[in-house]
Amino acid sequence: MSFAPAIEARGITRVFQSRKGFFHQDVTRTEALRGVDLTVDAGEIFGLLGPNGAGKTTLTKILTTLLLPTSGIARVLGLDVTKDTERLRARIGLVLGGERGLYNRISARENLRYFADLYGVPVAERDRRVTEVLEWVGLTEAADRRTEEYSRGMKQKLHIARGILHRPEVLFLDEPTIGLDPKSARETRKLIRSLLGQGVTIFLTTHYMFEAEELCHRIGVLSRGRLVAIDTVAGLRDLVGGDRTIEAEDYGFEDAELAAVRHLPGVSKVVHEEYGPVTRLTIRVREGDLGVDAVRACLINHGGLQVRERRTSLEDVYLDLVEEEAP
Amino acid sequence: MATVSVPRARWSGRRSTLASVRLAILTFLADPQWLIPSMIAPIIFGFVSYELFLGSPDLIVYVILGAGMMSMWGQTLYGSGWATGQDRNLGTLEPTISAPTPYVFVVLGRILWNVVSGLIGIALVFVVVVAAMGTVPSIDNPLAFAVLFLFTMFTLAAVGTVFAAAYVYTRYAGFIQNVGEFAFYIGTGCMFPIIILPFWTNPIALIFPPSWALDALRYASIPGYVGFGWGMGWDIVGGVATTAAYLLIAGLVFERVERHVLEVGNLQEY
Ligand SMILES: Nc1ncnc2c1ncn2[C@@H]1O[C@H](COP(=O)(O)OP(=O)(O)O)[C@@H](O)[C@H]1O
Ligand SMILES: [Mg+2]
Repeated sequence: MSFAPAIEARGITRVFQSRKGFFHQDVTRTEALRGVDLTVDAGEIFGLLGPNGAGKTTLTKILTTLLLPTSGIARVLGLDVTKDTERLRARIGLVLGGERGLYNRISARENLRYFADLYGVPVAERDRRVTEVLEWVGLTEAADRRTEEYSRGMKQKLHIARGILHRPEVLFLDEPTIGLDPKSARETRKLIRSLLGQGVTIFLTTHYMFEAEELCHRIGVLSRGRLVAIDTVAGLRDLVGGDRTIEAEDYGFEDAELAAVRHLPGVSKVVHEEYGPVTRLTIRVREGDLGVDAVRACLINHGGLQVRERRTSLEDVYLDLVEEEAP
Repeated sequence: MATVSVPRARWSGRRSTLASVRLAILTFLADPQWLIPSMIAPIIFGFVSYELFLGSPDLIVYVILGAGMMSMWGQTLYGSGWATGQDRNLGTLEPTISAPTPYVFVVLGRILWNVVSGLIGIALVFVVVVAAMGTVPSIDNPLAFAVLFLFTMFTLAAVGTVFAAAYVYTRYAGFIQNVGEFAFYIGTGCMFPIIILPFWTNPIALIFPPSWALDALRYASIPGYVGFGWGMGWDIVGGVATTAAYLLIAGLVFERVERHVLEVGNLQEY
């Protein structure tokens, strides 16, 4: 293994032009990526975290040669993603996941055999390799059933099996647990973690902070096409600093009450979210020893008020980062 | 740079083409809806044509060729274009493109299979018509017939390649296909003898290489055949020229198309 980065991206932008209307007259321009710089070292699990529409899939497709960037340069395993596509495709794996992407009238084994042929897995090894990966993802028993009979979780496992069939050096997974039930999601994460032991570099996207935290060495937070943070889990945790978080919940708050809370000493931020009839205030306290009682005092007219202090989580940091970017 | 001790996989065009043929056969066997265009349609074409030309025994080869060609043409258009369209619908186009083998080899495999299943179709027509007539028709020039028959299949493959490329390019390719289908059926006299059709229908058919090949094939098999009227020699010239043009177009399109879809980013659309 070498010390050259597995993935290197410099100034990646991507603009989509989509046309609507009968004569394609209405053109909408979407800047999906606005200058992304990124380095992923060989052997690491890197997590790209961001809300829907942040540009995760777009960046994944650019790095896997399925989409050309509008500008910028990216290399994977030292190969230019726009020029060395053929050589690169042989050495990387991609798991797009989802309901689609499989030949559904034929068995999982036949699906894998087909792709093994397209990837040029040595003929002598092919069938053994197919059996091996099916076993590894736990589909041995269902291997000869048509994939149209597969559950969402089984399809996901098959997608992962196909991704590693040709022993890629870098594996890209785009939202590998989206839409899975909790048990399948957990099994999928376990598979991903066990790949690391085999020396594969992993680039995965997710919109769950806990997933990135659980799996990844380093995390990049993508928001509206920009990387707004890139650090280790510990480094991101430092962004929390000495912050404390107080939550207050009741059925709606007055503007005057919100203003009072905002003006309490040490409060750096107040977010309010509606959960059905319930409104929750999330109060970030930067310094001082402001406590739950001071908050309660501002909201004196609420009979059913619930106030509690909790640890500031990485999820809070993530939401802050993503929100600060919003216009 | 990285030196990794895994045996490096190497793709091969031949192997990918064969894998694609295998996938096409498996899909065919798994899905009974395919039986209609590939097996039942030729039989129906055969019967209808037989009824149409009843009582003119010199036209029997014309009938077999017409019905057989309709079946093969349908098979080419549907098989080549449809399979790529199906790759879009299933979402398998993206994973396929992300493999190192150029997509054109996958297309080639499907076209090979279409040619084979088209042959099965024409054989069925032959059996149906011969059974109905009670005689085996004779062919005027068997050697020319055999050569031209192979050539006809080749022209069909050329058309299939262009249509497949169109489907990689855009999900709207079905429209071109539907127009092409009828222009061929009518313009080549597959449905009605050319002589009874207004002259303006011919030029439309002439943009398809198999129209020329089919006309030549009829010269070789039916004594006194008139057809387009310029003789077998010019049919062959026209067939070769249009096929060369199609292959050139297919080559250019395939070279550009794989790049184009990466620019536009529409591989996942369906
Ligand atoms: N093929 C496309 N055509 C037009 N717009 C697109 C296309 N793909 C993505 N986009 C737009 O680019 C932005 C980023 O999308 P995407 O990369 O899919 O985000 P994510 O995967 O983070 O949810 C979105 O605004 C999306 O609508
Ligand atoms: Mg996405």
